[in-house]
Amino acid sequence: MSDARLLEVERINTYYGKSHILHDVSLHVEQGEIVTLLGLNGAGKTTTLRSILGLTPPRTGTVKLNGRELRGLAPHAVARLGVGYVPEGRRMFKNLSVLENLQLAERGTVGDGWTIGRVYDRFPKLKELAGRKSGRLSGGEQEMLAIGRALVGNPKLILVDEPSQGLAPIIVIELYKTLEELRRQGASILLVEQNALLALKVSQRAYVIDDGHIVHTGAADELAHDQPRIRGLMGLREDEDIPA
Amino acid sequence: MIEHLAPEIVNGIVLGAFYAIIAIGLSLIMNLTGTINLAHGSFMTLAGYLAFTLMSRGSNFWFALAASAICTAIIGLVVERLLISPLYKRVPLYSLLLTFGLSLVFEEVFRLIWGPSTVPFSAPPELSGATQIGDVFLPTYRLFIMVALVVVMVALLVFLYRTRLGLRLRGAVQDAEMLAALGTNTQLLYMTNFGLGILLAAIAGVLAAGLLGLGPTMGNDLLMPAFITVVIGGMGSLAGSIVGGLLVGLAISITTLYLPAASEVIMYVLMAVVLLIRPRGLFGEEGIFG
Ligand SMILES: Nc1ncnc2c1ncn2[C@@H]1O[C@H](COP(=O)(O)OP(=O)(O)OP(=O)(O)O)[C@@H](O)[C@H]1O
Ligand SMILES: [Mg+2]
Repeated sequence: MSDARLLEVERINTYYGKSHILHDVSLHVEQGEIVTLLGLNGAGKTTTLRSILGLTPPRTGTVKLNGRELRGLAPHAVARLGVGYVPEGRRMFKNLSVLENLQLAERGTVGDGWTIGRVYDRFPKLKELAGRKSGRLSGGEQEMLAIGRALVGNPKLILVDEPSQGLAPIIVIELYKTLEELRRQGASILLVEQNALLALKVSQRAYVIDDGHIVHTGAADELAHDQPRIRGLMGLREDEDIPA
Repeated sequence: MIEHLAPEIVNGIVLGAFYAIIAIGLSLIMNLTGTINLAHGSFMTLAGYLAFTLMSRGSNFWFALAASAICTAIIGLVVERLLISPLYKRVPLYSLLLTFGLSLVFEEVFRLIWGPSTVPFSAPPELSGATQIGDVFLPTYRLFIMVALVVVMVALLVFLYRTRLGLRLRGAVQDAEMLAALGTNTQLLYMTNFGLGILLAAIAGVLAAGLLGLGPTMGNDLLMPAFITVVIGGMGSLAGSIVGGLLVGLAISITTLYLPAASEVIMYVLMAVVLLIRPRGLFGEEGIFG
């Protein structure tokens, strides 16, 4: 078991009611990697993350964390086994304060693990805003809080869904620096992005999902140079320039 | 003038406090799981009968109050797990029908066990008689109920705002799925929350039995004004339930004094007026824990 992968998703099929969304999706994340899952609107990226978490359980296939089967477990059990979640749209508990948002997620601190205090040290802005209702934070502050909220659960793997959505470019750069720094400190991240080039810069490997099928897998820097595919992913025509 | 009005105002406040406690329990349950608990009144009646049975076997009032409230809450937990929780994934109509059916079953069971008419349920001797406040004498039991219900509400606030479990409940009301994804067992939370709502109803039920008389429909008779309280106060607002309850209670008792014929309809009039001015109720925007 010791050589089992951190996350191993094998041939999952996920449905919303009768509509079949994910078709035999397989992917994996190794300890210490950032892996990006890219795809257009509606391709099934969020559904993949929801499948791992047990929020929308796959009907078939397996999802393993360090060799332990997650499929069939309730979301809170998956979370407690070590899967953190930074959801699309951030999903703050809007009427609760910054501190309360963190308190709701704090769990399993051992040794030099993440505590609310350490999150405040890493994101001093959150400490300043500790008493403010999270619904009144800016988008960037909310994204930091969403990340801090995942960290205080001391997860083995963090699922991050479109963190740059709706944020100003400078904030996005800062955000990605944070993700890279977390990885250097040992975090493992499965990242979902529409902003392909940016995500590829911090990732080691990437998958591309299209209409619920994994259509490409490979090293992040190779994909970053695959201009036609990047154009396709970003919804650009062949003669359009790729924005830097 | 004041001698006439004072007792009615106390009446109104006492009634209003009952409506508020019931409304808060309804709101807790409605907010978290979308369940409109039409069996809420039955749990009040049940608690009253359990306390009555204990007292008729020699228990004192205080023990009967505590024991019946706890037993009723536990029965509530069982009902939630076995009957109501399987319906959470469905539209609220299902649980509405289920709890409506439950209330009918409960009522028949009450009739079978305790008979169709009211049973003698008297306040304990230390709370009977009257207490003089200034120039007016007020029934001690009513004053006690006011104090008791205020204590219950304060305890509830402390629970919601000062404990981890309370924090989880406030979080779950906003986004239960996200809370689950952060590691909270939300099913356990739904169950606890339902039990809490029933505990409030049960305490109110025993207290009400000593005031209004205990019969098979006691709780259900209080349920309609409590629902109107929820609507007037604003769906899911704690402050709204308290203010709404007092408004309804006072409106009913004062109308009873001056225009008895209108005392049954006054709460509907009040509701219509409030909804005309504020369609979401007095405190509608905030949500229960806002
Ligand atoms: N709750 C739902 N019920 C039914 N269908 C859904 C639901 N959520 C998503 N879908 C459908 O599933 C497909 C995949 O959606 P998903 O949210 O996983 O896409 P995505 O890749 O995350 O897209 P985006 O970039 O817009 O976030 C879409 O066709 C979408 O319409
Ligand atoms: Mg998505």
